[in-house]
Amino acid sequence: MTYVRGLLMTLLLGCITMHAQNKELLYDFTDIPQALLINPGMKTSSEWYAGIPLLSGISFQVGTSGFTVDDIFADDGLDINDKIRDRVIYSADITDELSGTYQVELLSGGFRRQNRPSDFYSFGIYNEGDAIGYWMRDLAILAYEGNADQLGRRFNLGHLKTRGEVLNVFHFGLNRRMSDKLTVGARAKVYSGIIAYKSTHNRGYFLTTAGQQNLLANTIEADLELRTSGLEKLREILTDDTSDHAAEIRKLALKRGFLGGDLGLGVDLGLSYNLNEKTVFTASLLDLGFMYHTSDVRSFTLRGNATVEGVQVILPDAFSDPDRDFWQSLIDDVQDLVPFEEDNNAYISFRPTKLYSSIRYNFGEPVASMADCDCSYKVSGRRNLDMGYTNGLGLQLYAINRPRGPQTALSAFYMRKLGRVLALKTTYTIDKFSTTNIGLGLNLQAGPVNFYVMADNLLAYRNIADSHYASLQFGLNIISWGKN
Amino acid sequence: MKNSTRSFFKALLPFCLLASCAEPQDFSQFDDLEITPVVEGSILYVESPESVINQIEGINFITQDFNFDAFSEDFVAERTIDGVVIYEVENTTSKRLNIMVEFLDEAETVLDTEIFAVDPAPTSILRREISYGGASGRSIDIIRNTSSLRVGAENLGDNSTTSILPDPKIILRTSAKLRIRLK
Repeated sequence: MTYVRGLLMTLLLGCITMHAQNKELLYDFTDIPQALLINPGMKTSSEWYAGIPLLSGISFQVGTSGFTVDDIFADDGLDINDKIRDRVIYSADITDELSGTYQVELLSGGFRRQNRPSDFYSFGIYNEGDAIGYWMRDLAILAYEGNADQLGRRFNLGHLKTRGEVLNVFHFGLNRRMSDKLTVGARAKVYSGIIAYKSTHNRGYFLTTAGQQNLLANTIEADLELRTSGLEKLREILTDDTSDHAAEIRKLALKRGFLGGDLGLGVDLGLSYNLNEKTVFTASLLDLGFMYHTSDVRSFTLRGNATVEGVQVILPDAFSDPDRDFWQSLIDDVQDLVPFEEDNNAYISFRPTKLYSSIRYNFGEPVASMADCDCSYKVSGRRNLDMGYTNGLGLQLYAINRPRGPQTALSAFYMRKLGRVLALKTTYTIDKFSTTNIGLGLNLQAGPVNFYVMADNLLAYRNIADSHYASLQFGLNIISWGKN
Repeated sequence: MKNSTRSFFKALLPFCLLASCAEPQDFSQFDDLEITPVVEGSILYVESPESVINQIEGINFITQDFNFDAFSEDFVAERTIDGVVIYEVENTTSKRLNIMVEFLDEAETVLDTEIFAVDPAPTSILRREISYGGASGRSIDIIRNTSSLRVGAENLGDNSTTSILPDPKIILRTSAKLRIRLK
């Protein structure tokens, strides 16, 4: 039981501390089938591919924008209480976040349509976890220091902003070459929610002032809401000491993750456009969709305002009911004024929509495509724009919709093809987490076997504990460029 | 091409080499982390106009127990390290008064008593701070076990005179400041 709880805590905390979802190394890495998941309009040349189940696409990204593990736990002889106070409690800002994602492909594949080879279909199922928590500065200060000697200070309850979810995604995508210049794509998605929580529209404050009658007045004005789905069943399993927790959680995740929980719909859109022979523009919009949370929903609200100056006994009125429990009356009054309520009403949440865009300039020696094809789906008679080059240089833009507004990243990248076997991509990314993020991706094609591995923010590995961001992606596929 | 490939790998090599270090971390420091916020709020406000005091025969014009479970709530009782209870007594009546505040446990056993002898108006506001816990304070168990407060007031003057001050009354104000261990 302890093991399961520990595992769950680790997973939950892991979700909370994961970094944003930018996959700048994988984006437009046309040799890798999984790149279709972040641009369904990417140029493809293979006839078919099949991902090795559970190994075709795995990505973990972890990080924080405010403080690092090293800031707190470095073996530097400093008092941890000083470090927490100076480097976390009073240093982190409300725009600092702990956020991120993981993704594991359960099943993936793709094939080119025989009677219309300009169309390439891809499909699969992946499991994804996404979470974000902004630094709750005022709540952290209140918890760390308390409200004593803070007369007149408003502790902003709106600093509480967090959301997260674990879900399975069933997807089917169409990639169509419209001309020798333009490739477009779309991917339909069915979301099957496993767990979700959301508390993003909070307002209010807690304030201590000199009382009008008594010495102090504590005021709360609150408009707080937490919506959850799937967590109650999980809690029941964990509090039932008679059950096999691991087995029950697995059963629950399988049931809810395979269309037995919350359902949602979404779509990805993308395109690639050759501006000229060597310059390619790409863009994609991902997870334009929503989730309808209907099962195992439990939501909590705290709304209202109240000011308390302790138990107040004013004679002679108090003599009218000598048995009155003034303390309980005070509690009841506060609960009436600021009721803590719970409901099971269904709710809708929107997926964190992502935008990618890039412009790439190819140069160097032309490299023929892996496809040993007759190019029947390609436009003949002109220079083949599918012809790759040994080098590619460009810029990428990434944006994701977050509770405090869009979050963006800008990457410069360089791609290098080493024959037909090896391709490398390196990126330099600037975002709110880091200005020194250099990443490296490697794609190895050994016959039909495709293996890729990518890591981000390599400079931070000098002291990984002091890193704001670290990520790893890898996958294994079988790819064919022959006939179906 | 071979040269450029070699150069490319040479450029990447430092990154790979850099990717192998980590400063030592000491996660056992977490055990030393102390989160001990100090919270404060009002406890009890009692007000009696002089007219009420005049109406009641005898010395004791108030003796009443007030349920006060804030201190004995498990969260507070188990985590309070130390604290201060602050009293203010304001007398604008024409009478000399004795005000008594007692802390009682569940069995109504008196755990602590504070007595305020107040001169008739005009007199300044009497303020007193009583510490609990720590090296010099009274036992913190008094706070932890307090379940109700008993307030008594004695009229050491007469039942006929009235202060010339506007709206004369006796007021007891109290608040508490507690340091609570969260971690």
